[in-house]
Amino acid sequence: MLLLSAALILFQQPQQTAQLPPSPVKRIEIEPANRTITAGDSVQLHLRALDENGAAVPNAVLSVKMLGGQGEGDVKPESFWLVASSVGKFPLALVATAPGTRPFIDSTSVEFRAVAGPVTRVEVQPKSIAIVSGQSLRVEALAFSRVNDRSHEPVRWRSSDAKVVSVSAEGMITGSVPGKAVLTASAGTASASLDVRVVPATVARLTLFPAKSEVRQGDVIPFRVDAKDAAGKAISGLTPTWSFSPGDGQLDADGHFVAYRTGSYTVTATLGSRAASANVTVRERDVRRSVTVVGRLPRTGFATSEVWIHPNGKVAYLGTHMGGDRLYAIDISNPAAPTVVDSIQANTRLVNDMQTTADGNYLVFTREGAADRKNGIVIADTHDPLHPREISQFVDGVASGVHSVYIYENDKYGKYVFITNDGTGAIDIVNITDPLHPVRAGEWRTDRPDASRYVHDLDIVDGIMYASYWNDGLVILDIGNGKWGGKPDKPVMISQYKYDLDSLYKEVEDVSSAGFGRGTHTAWRQRGGKYVFISDEVYLNGDIEGAKDASSSRMYGTLQVLDVSDIEHPKAVAWYTPEMGGVHNVWQAGDTLYMGAYDAGFHVFDISGELKGDLRAQHREMASLNTADMGGAVKNAAFDWGVVLNPKDGLAYVNDFNNGLWVIRVNPKKPATPALP
Amino acid sequence: MLLVAAFAAASLSAQQSAPPVTPPDRDYLVFVASEGNDQISLIRFGPRGARVERSRQMGTNPTELVGPHGLSVSPDGLWYYVTTAHGTPNGSIWKFSTADDRQAGRIELGLFPATVQVAPGGHYVWVVNFNLYGDMVPSSVSVVYADQMVEVKRIPTCVMPHGSRLSTDGSKQYSACMMNDELIEIDAARMAVDRHFMLAKGHEMGMTGAPGAMTTGAMDMGGHGMTPPKPGDVSCSPTWAQPSIDGQTVWVACNKASDLVEIDVASWTMRRRIPAGEGVYNLAASHDGRLIVGTNKRGKSVSVIDAVSGKELARIPTSRRVPSGLVISPDDRYAFVTLEGVGSEPGTVDIIDLNALSRIASVDVGQQAGGIDFWKTDSPH
Repeated sequence: MLLLSAALILFQQPQQTAQLPPSPVKRIEIEPANRTITAGDSVQLHLRALDENGAAVPNAVLSVKMLGGQGEGDVKPESFWLVASSVGKFPLALVATAPGTRPFIDSTSVEFRAVAGPVTRVEVQPKSIAIVSGQSLRVEALAFSRVNDRSHEPVRWRSSDAKVVSVSAEGMITGSVPGKAVLTASAGTASASLDVRVVPATVARLTLFPAKSEVRQGDVIPFRVDAKDAAGKAISGLTPTWSFSPGDGQLDADGHFVAYRTGSYTVTATLGSRAASANVTVRERDVRRSVTVVGRLPRTGFATSEVWIHPNGKVAYLGTHMGGDRLYAIDISNPAAPTVVDSIQANTRLVNDMQTTADGNYLVFTREGAADRKNGIVIADTHDPLHPREISQFVDGVASGVHSVYIYENDKYGKYVFITNDGTGAIDIVNITDPLHPVRAGEWRTDRPDASRYVHDLDIVDGIMYASYWNDGLVILDIGNGKWGGKPDKPVMISQYKYDLDSLYKEVEDVSSAGFGRGTHTAWRQRGGKYVFISDEVYLNGDIEGAKDASSSRMYGTLQVLDVSDIEHPKAVAWYTPEMGGVHNVWQAGDTLYMGAYDAGFHVFDISGELKGDLRAQHREMASLNTADMGGAVKNAAFDWGVVLNPKDGLAYVNDFNNGLWVIRVNPKKPATPALP
Repeated sequence: MLLVAAFAAASLSAQQSAPPVTPPDRDYLVFVASEGNDQISLIRFGPRGARVERSRQMGTNPTELVGPHGLSVSPDGLWYYVTTAHGTPNGSIWKFSTADDRQAGRIELGLFPATVQVAPGGHYVWVVNFNLYGDMVPSSVSVVYADQMVEVKRIPTCVMPHGSRLSTDGSKQYSACMMNDELIEIDAARMAVDRHFMLAKGHEMGMTGAPGAMTTGAMDMGGHGMTPPKPGDVSCSPTWAQPSIDGQTVWVACNKASDLVEIDVASWTMRRRIPAGEGVYNLAASHDGRLIVGTNKRGKSVSVIDAVSGKELARIPTSRRVPSGLVISPDDRYAFVTLEGVGSEPGTVDIIDLNALSRIASVDVGQQAGGIDFWKTDSPH
């Protein structure tokens, strides 16, 4: 009996796989030979499987597979059309399978590159400058395609009068004799002009203001020059050539300077043969503060997702993840003892996002992972904030799931909720003026010729939406502001800020592999300011070999600060890249930016004044906390999702994916300790 | 997480004439994918009951669920392959070592890669790109060369291709088109569609070539098998295609109609429709050709059907809601059935004794347990 049993066990064991014979295919020929394609265009690929004699192999099944760049384009499997939706690289695997033999795979020799489309716009800033005879200065022009991709097409410079102003191919201009000239920067068929006025080199005295500065790291000093001739008459409007030392800071062409380190800097302005310098003494920014964990609510049943504070400031809502089907209503009237009072359960396995209406009477939250795969949003009545009650759902066309929501209330148009559609990558628009009967009002999606569209998060301020559109960057829409003709049900695109994620996160590819996940994840428009903070979500392509638990992976990301004073032309001005960890959700209140940084925990930044350059180097970080303890679902490992600042008590309500809710006070700055006599 | 198997005589009336339950004399190991919390579990079932031997989290970032959906073990038992439904937006197929869950590869496929099967030869992995959530456009079947994890062909098929299986000899691949109401037959050597079969009740018909534009079927995916048909609805809403061991028959699970369409492969005609449980969803055929076993998604049960007579031998209630995938052990003694559950309920694997026609053990795993495959047997541990 034992023998029989053993024999049966042996019989049921896996069988070894026999090797397939080698392929007769030795090479795959592909056309076209030109491997560059314009973003937005498509190209038909023609393949031929060839044997060792260069003859075609009959019956070989041919295929093309993208080995990277799936977010930027696609290869149509039935027709081999390569569709380049946006700028990127498309390494291809060419495959030929002769029936019954091993596939022949060429995964190294072919890479198509999609470049920005024809230049339709060239930007030169400023539009006019004045220099003196003998002065040299570098000017810059940027070229963009119709879909806002930055073009690498060389900009050609031309002077209307080279005797007055000459210009090199690199944009270095030199004023020769007094006069006026128009410099034209051209790329493709687009161009922009820069008026240059050359004045006689009569500057007898040049003064730089402020002549002496004492600032903190990160403070931006707007330098200006005062030029006078021998008679003491002011020569106005001149554009100096700027330089500074030592080199640990940033000085822009408009004379705005920021220092990263403490110490002395010399900033110099030059006009022809005249130069003036200013001394800058930089002291510590000195914003570092301690934190106190005021309250703690560990969660063990599920992973923790989003947190939201009811407008009354006494109730927090906390979502669940990784199989979580509920949203907790938490009494935070005593923030030292946050207490779950009630919950609302739904057909979901992930509550990723939530928001209340401004009056606090209704709550909208997202559903993903429904048992019947009909996902969507839930609208709950929160007139009794501690006891939310579901009153309606919206599922029309969003069965795939909704990841993020943002409510927009407009006296003229009514109440809307904008939701991200996991399946189509569209922003779906739902009218919730009657919250009992939510109605589809429209949708908006980026214009790209393939299905690789994904929108992750939304923010709305003053009728303008800031959509984090993953591979399509930041998309800014008029959804009710009206200046650009947008309405809630008919958004109009104002502008788009795209950037090369593969280049920005090359490090992640280096330590992992191509195809790592990355995209524009969150955007937050500064309330009462001119900036938009955008954060990327970036993760490794697979675990770190040999590692496990918290060591097996880490997050990456960069926070970019965009100046949207000119909202049609967002401009990156500053950034923060953590040494360790990612950048997930942010929350801004006044001059403070709060951040959940995933495995790097909770961080707080001083964003007062003008922002420029590397915020980390400037020591703008005010506070941090490793949100990990032995409570929660995952012990002693932070994975900080985000934070909401409660305006009623000034405390940060921090939600950690691994372990629940933290109530944190960022303590006031300690008074300086008197120096010993 | 150990649930002791209840090796007691079953009480279901349908099983009163069935032989008594006898305990297993060896351990059976199956891998299970839980879509709701990105978990893969290895289940050990034997004389000491059923338990989770080990489990691992998978994915790229814990906060962005990838949704492991389908799972298939290679014939040599060295690897298992998992399809993940969610991405940004495309899903992927992953390759892991059965010995230690080490990741050995991942490539991106289409929208919502779902059912997966390693071909009998072990060289290719077949995956349907279900595209459950995107725009209603024709999708495809991907063929992946397992050794190097390279997609060697993406074969356009139909709208929402779902449950699929290869013939025993690996020469044909069958997939169900939920929205077209059709069955697709692919010639595995040519990696091209050979024939298709229309499945709506009263309109059954075999056709050559690939399907044209969508002609039948509503644009409602019926709660993915959870919504009952409206009165007068004759559509099939196929969710699984299961070839017989001898390759002469294909059974298609009609989720809406709650029956199976039995198709004669040679003549490409329908032989009969076999009644099944409510919302029949996934199928498996016993290796001896005797049984067809189906999960009844709406009926919270498993149907065991005599493959020759078409008679339902037993309808066995499951221990939890939303039965989903299943696999039959190579000795045909047991069916391992995944139960998705609802919301935060754990997923569960029910183990059904196919001789006694009764459920004899259950073990909880991660939420929304779906994909399942048999790995090997082992001496009792």
